Amino acid sequence: MMPSEREPAKRFELDERLAQHISDAVCVAINTTFSVSITPGEVVFGEGMVSLMGDVSGIIAMVQDRLEGTLTVCMPTEALRDILPRVLGHGIPVTRDMTSDAVGEITNLVFGQIKTELNQRGHVFRLGIPSVIQGKGHFVSQFHRGRYMLASFHIENHLIQVHVAIHGGACDPSCADAP
Amino acid sequence: MTQLSDLKVLVVDDHFLVRQFVRNTLQEAKINDVQTAADGNEAIDMVQKAHETERPYDIVLLDWNMPTVSGLEVLNYFRAKPEYANTAFVMLTVESEQQNIMKAIKAGATSYMIKPVLPGDFSKKLAEIYDWILRKRQAANAKK
Repeated sequence: MMPSEREPAKRFELDERLAQHISDAVCVAINTTFSVSITPGEVVFGEGMVSLMGDVSGIIAMVQDRLEGTLTVCMPTEALRDILPRVLGHGIPVTRDMTSDAVGEITNLVFGQIKTELNQRGHVFRLGIPSVIQGKGHFVSQFHRGRYMLASFHIENHLIQVHVAIHGGACDPSCADAP
Repeated sequence: MTQLSDLKVLVVDDHFLVRQFVRNTLQEAKINDVQTAADGNEAIDMVQKAHETERPYDIVLLDWNMPTVSGLEVLNYFRAKPEYANTAFVMLTVESEQQNIMKAIKAGATSYMIKPVLPGDFSKKLAEIYDWILRKRQAANAKK
């Protein structure tokens, strides 16, 4: 496409449609991988600092030239102990490394789907590598200038929290992307 | 190799969860000869060793983003070697952008799957890959 034919830059919005897409992405990632029923709960939009609490958290930076943000998936160890044997086999002890690996991959799968949606809107993000934090009842505090969404999900009686915050300016659809 | 269940598969992914998930999915398709590698270097060693000393792999499923050597680098490495022309190298990744899919296909990927893959979609792709392998083998036999 010639420069003069480029689509106009699009303003990023963390809107209800994207929130729904993120919610669907979490459900698909967990349901497909673990064959377990996951129920979406409340979605809260806000601005400024917010803290999530969990035992294992996956965090991934969402980066492109004009926008930046994070995706955080926070899970209790008990949920992981319940769902991991569905993939690993029953009777295999669930280790710390396994829970860390699982949350890292869940974060990766969710981000992959969010990235696809954002790319289709002209916000071309690069793929990041998730970091995983372990610690019983730890807090992840997110500081962002822009709007965030905090979505809760339930697997049986276990609470899973997903936080997405993105802020920045208009996007240039010609941004190069590479893994 | 006469049927799908006779396939020998290598699953390459840095996440234990994915390796086990794919192994389970393949075993549901009655494919039991499944081995795994946790990174690109290990995959290269295993594919070469199998080719030289035992039965080669029919399918190598490759994650894109892995530490040290990426799935795309593994693909490029083997597609430069004619002796691996009949091996199906399949990308299994969260990378969903059209340009990355094209990059992999141009590099010689037999097929491309975007994670998470629903079991039904996985079975369909597997059948397509199996057809590709059969056609490659028939073409190779016809040349002899």
